[in-house]
Amino acid sequence: MLVDFNFRVILEYLPLFLTGLRSTFFIAVVSIILALITGIIACSCRISGIKIIKYPAIAYIEIVRSTPLLVQIYFLYFGLPTLGLRIPEIQTGILALMLNSGAYIAEIIRAGINSVDEGQIEAGVSSGLNYVQRMRLIILPQALGVTVPPLLGQNIVLVKDSALLSLISVMELTRCGQTMTSERFMPAEAFLTVAFFYMCIYFCLKALADWSQRKLIFREAY
Amino acid sequence: MIEFKNVNKWFDKLHVLNDINLKIPKGEVLVICGPSGSGKSTLIRCINRLEKIQQGQIIVNDTPVHDKSTNLTKLRAEIGFVFQQFHLYPHMTVLQNVMLAPVNVKKLPKAKAEKIALEKLEQVGLTEKSAAYPAQLSGGQQQRVAIARGLVMSPEIMLFDEPTSALDPEMIGEVLDVMVNLVSEGMTMCVVTHEMGFAKKVADRVLFMDEGKIVEIGNPTDFFDNPQTDRAAEFISKILTH
Ligand SMILES: Nc1ncnc2c1ncn2[C@@H]1O[C@H](COP(=O)(O)OP(=O)(O)OP(=O)(O)O)[C@@H](O)[C@H]1O
Ligand SMILES: [Mg+2]
Repeated sequence: MLVDFNFRVILEYLPLFLTGLRSTFFIAVVSIILALITGIIACSCRISGIKIIKYPAIAYIEIVRSTPLLVQIYFLYFGLPTLGLRIPEIQTGILALMLNSGAYIAEIIRAGINSVDEGQIEAGVSSGLNYVQRMRLIILPQALGVTVPPLLGQNIVLVKDSALLSLISVMELTRCGQTMTSERFMPAEAFLTVAFFYMCIYFCLKALADWSQRKLIFREAY
Repeated sequence: MIEFKNVNKWFDKLHVLNDINLKIPKGEVLVICGPSGSGKSTLIRCINRLEKIQQGQIIVNDTPVHDKSTNLTKLRAEIGFVFQQFHLYPHMTVLQNVMLAPVNVKKLPKAKAEKIALEKLEQVGLTEKSAAYPAQLSGGQQQRVAIARGLVMSPEIMLFDEPTSALDPEMIGEVLDVMVNLVSEGMTMCVVTHEMGFAKKVADRVLFMDEGKIVEIGNPTDFFDNPQTDRAAEFISKILTH
């Protein structure tokens, strides 16, 4: 049992795990930034009154939310090349995570915006504030508080989802565990180590989420 | 000052405003009453284009409100609007609530805007609350802040949509007092309210609406003591027994 647990082999594979960690970290950071941009754009289109940008945004969000991420990854990885579009695994992976999280982020932001009472917007309209001013001065400051914690939650999901990229042979953390397993057949050591690194990332993001909750959530004063 | 010419408005099939013709001269205080759903809110919300109309014209100070070319920002700055539910911005202090429009719409320097905002807060008797957040205030105080927020743009017209209906009875007086003071300054006012005392004391005319139509319009004593239609009589007896 535990006496059989081989720490030496973990140490031996540590350099590999660290490259995996770096790769996961890199994929996560890039995907999160791109997903945020995608989400903001999709949300702006979704809430706009212009039909030709509103309906494509709804279609995008609903397609992503109604299908498994693995299917989306496989579609991009196997499907796109047959359609004549060839991109490397890691870019495919980032694209998949970006599109997937972007849709969820769009809905998170929309919920934040919708949480602001319609009456306040009318009060802003009545005093002559234009759309951009109302967004900037009334809606977004209040939406931010309710949006940031679920956004960080979505980022935690994204980090864990990035494990699926191991299935299209992106050399990230989980893939490193698979590599070690196939070379040494020590799955317990391999995947416990992998899990440990995911936990480290998780606790960092969670600390950030808790901090933001305390700092950013606007509470009506008491 | 405000003129409705053959105004018609529908919400889908519902004919909310049915051929409204109305002239409100400068300095007039018009009280609007009528049963729930009769279109009172809609009527005054059309004046600053919170609602669109489908037919007719509304003219405020020679400006056709519902024309495409109308400068809405300028128009809305001339019209203060006070809501039943106050709708203060909860993330801003009282002073910031009142200063928001002068700084951002009129582009006044902060110090100047603050000075004007404090004057208006004094006018509604809330100078000492300027650093408080809305949630720290009573309903009556919040509504007075909302009135100050409307006044700060120096409007020529103030519109009130049931300003005291969301208030506990003991707070109604303080809000009505502020409004009575406005009347004595010569403000043009349209007030949707069922406060008969207020109407009798300061209104120049009372307008009674039902099912989107102006059923009666006249001076308050005539209207309350001697209504011309059964519907108005029934309505008055209802608010009296309340
Ligand atoms: N945005 C809207 N969409 C559809 N119908 C509406 C809308 N706003 C109001 N209505 C309907 O129009 C009618 C008139 O509404 P309005 O709010 O003007 O009445 P009101 O006289 O102010 O009533 P209350 O005393 O209850 O405030 C009502 O039947 C209402 O349900
Ligand atoms: Mg109403």
